Amino acid sequence: MDSDADDDIPELISAEPDEQSSSDRNPIAKRVPLTIICGFLGAGKSTLLRRILTERHGYRIAVIMNEFGDTADIEAKSITVDGESTTLELANGCLCCSIKDSGAAAIESLMRKQGAFDHILLEATGLADPGPIAGMFWHNEEYIDARSIGSENGIVLDGVVCVVDAVFGLKQMEEDHADTEDEGTGESLRQIAGSDVIILNKVDLVQSSILSATELAIKHVNPVAPIYRTVRAELNLGHILGIQAYSIGQRHLSALKNQHESQHDHDHDHDHDHDHDHEQGYTLSSSVVPHYVTRGISSLQVSLPPLSATQFAAFDAWIRTILWENRLLDSVDGLAGTPDSQSKKSPSQSNINVLRCKGLLILTSGEQHVLQGVRSMYEIIPVDESTKSEFPHAGKVVLIGKGLGEDVRHSLLSVVG
Amino acid sequence: MTSAVLCQSQSCINDNPPSRMECPTCSKLGIRGSFFCGQDCFKAGWKTHKLIHELAKSPSSSTNVGKSSDSYNPFPDFSFAGTIRPLYPLSPRRTVPDHIPRPDYATTGKPFSELRETGPPRLLTAEEIEKMRTACRLSREVLDIAASHVRPGITTDELDEIVHNATIERNAYPSTMNYRGYPKSVCTSINEVICHGIPDQRILQEGDIVNIDVSLFYDGYHGDVNATYPVGKIDEDSQKLIRTTRESLDAAIKICKPGALIRDIGKTIEPIARANGCAVVRTYTGHGIHELFHCSPNIPHYAKNKAVGTMKTGMIFTIEPMLNLGTNWSEIHWPDNWTATTVDGKRSAQFEETLLITETGVEILTAGRSPSI
Repeated sequence: MDSDADDDIPELISAEPDEQSSSDRNPIAKRVPLTIICGFLGAGKSTLLRRILTERHGYRIAVIMNEFGDTADIEAKSITVDGESTTLELANGCLCCSIKDSGAAAIESLMRKQGAFDHILLEATGLADPGPIAGMFWHNEEYIDARSIGSENGIVLDGVVCVVDAVFGLKQMEEDHADTEDEGTGESLRQIAGSDVIILNKVDLVQSSILSATELAIKHVNPVAPIYRTVRAELNLGHILGIQAYSIGQRHLSALKNQHESQHDHDHDHDHDHDHDHEQGYTLSSSVVPHYVTRGISSLQVSLPPLSATQFAAFDAWIRTILWENRLLDSVDGLAGTPDSQSKKSPSQSNINVLRCKGLLILTSGEQHVLQGVRSMYEIIPVDESTKSEFPHAGKVVLIGKGLGEDVRHSLLSVVG
Repeated sequence: MTSAVLCQSQSCINDNPPSRMECPTCSKLGIRGSFFCGQDCFKAGWKTHKLIHELAKSPSSSTNVGKSSDSYNPFPDFSFAGTIRPLYPLSPRRTVPDHIPRPDYATTGKPFSELRETGPPRLLTAEEIEKMRTACRLSREVLDIAASHVRPGITTDELDEIVHNATIERNAYPSTMNYRGYPKSVCTSINEVICHGIPDQRILQEGDIVNIDVSLFYDGYHGDVNATYPVGKIDEDSQKLIRTTRESLDAAIKICKPGALIRDIGKTIEPIARANGCAVVRTYTGHGIHELFHCSPNIPHYAKNKAVGTMKTGMIFTIEPMLNLGTNWSEIHWPDNWTATTVDGKRSAQFEETLLITETGVEILTAGRSPSI
């Protein structure tokens, strides 16, 4: 077997610069941010995309156009980097016992061959709802090791950007609200609900009263996402890229803290005869926009006092019941979860469906925890000392979705209180 | 990332300075870091150095011995992580007698009913549960039969034949056969292979560890079970790996009952792995199983996961942790598009049971004669 009687001693060769050879198996793993761009038809997504590629010239930005709507998987076959298109090799049978998404795996496989990108943009053309895809990439982060051991360049969900057309947006939303009351999709509303930042574009074509009304309508659905008014999708890209909307960093905490204040400003800009009770979400002036029954898509914000350990556990039971089972936790259920029988929903609960949730929980121990959730996936993570919010007077939970009436608020307060 | 590598010669006359001349054989074999300060130094240390080439090349010939003299590695240019190599040709596809009912993917490979499935995990009726009990009991029987043949000298293809025959003898269909195109009736994963090893011509060697993963389809329902076995006498690290993997599975099974959270399974497994110097594989997860081979719920084996779901009576799923020695939990795939191995060549073990959530707790449907709970 040992046939190596090799007496020909080879000549040494000059070693290659080691980037190539050492990058094969365990490169210094990069966390590559991915941004999903959705929005109304004709609102300016393509303009925004072009702007990003032009302004960030010199960065390796990959663009994926997701041509097929409604599915949770990326069906797009091609990815464009620096103007060159490559075909994504979607994964195959061997991942059968794996929940790892084939689209995400295909992008990562490409990065293994071509090197990490600086940013990935997923343009969701024709996608009714960014929630499932956002959830999929967020879930995919479980395959990135924070210590970079065993990981390759991993995709990190940076956030979802929605481009709203200032000219037709309000009308679109009104139609979709009517739509959702009849169990329709309410596409524009789902896009707003699932977004972390909103670009209100073409503001030069529209009078300011309409702009304010549009913003109020947006905030009724999503009170947490900042709104930027733009002309031809021009804005500081730092507002939409690198926003770390799914992390628990400083930006997230500020966003939760500050949105309360910034909305207050908007409030006073405009119509004074509506409710100043911010706790109830947004009631809109009926002269511009009809009152929405909570059967449509709306938001709910609940302030929570500092929680004891028991109350914190109760909160987890409450949130997982509403997210996983689309119903409210009975105090009868207890913390152990439901007894086996079918969920007992009251009629008003029958269409609870939370699309997105965010929150900050303060504990009596001084600990702070951040809640992040999209669809039925969520996590509650402790904030480390260095990023703690400075004035933790109260915790807050924001829910965005359908069926979020006052009964939901009362349920939460009674279970946690 | 250019860092200086010192001359590797043990008899360097220049005091082992930082060097940038590389041994071309090592470069070709994918061995990194073989730098020397000059040709003379290299020649002087050649006798010792060339042993490295032999070590790298010879696993193909000594560790991986094939049954016949014409077995070959179908992927000679692939950068394998460890010493295991595929040994082709694969034996011809085995046939399943016509009278045995097949799952929908048997002809085309595509599991249509799985792809169509939406909604929360199914809760099975008493009748359906009884069928699962049977399918799982048969799966365990077949696994035990295969395990009794594990010894140095047998090939994984021979194990496949044993599993296949035992399965069809019981009028069952081997679930893996043509599932998404998989060519064999069982998965056999040796040493650094994490899962989905394809049975081939390789002869099991003393000191190997081998996982045999059996799944069969009987009376409309699938059962799924696996275990890792020693081949002859194995080293201490391998013993620890096998023991820890089984222990982590047993601990996870203990927390299963109505109301328990699926995400807590990983929370239970990972600390045990870490405490014993092992890493938990993330990409492959446990899964729901009944009329469908793989369906919801999804069961991550690692901690800090966002798995959705609470266990309920009548729910059936597998827990099947894969643990790697060391700290690297990731995997690479062979060009056969199935075999997953560790990235660093260290060994991996796995154990699996199919579990039923009962009103009071959990029933291990695939329990062997000595159930661990």
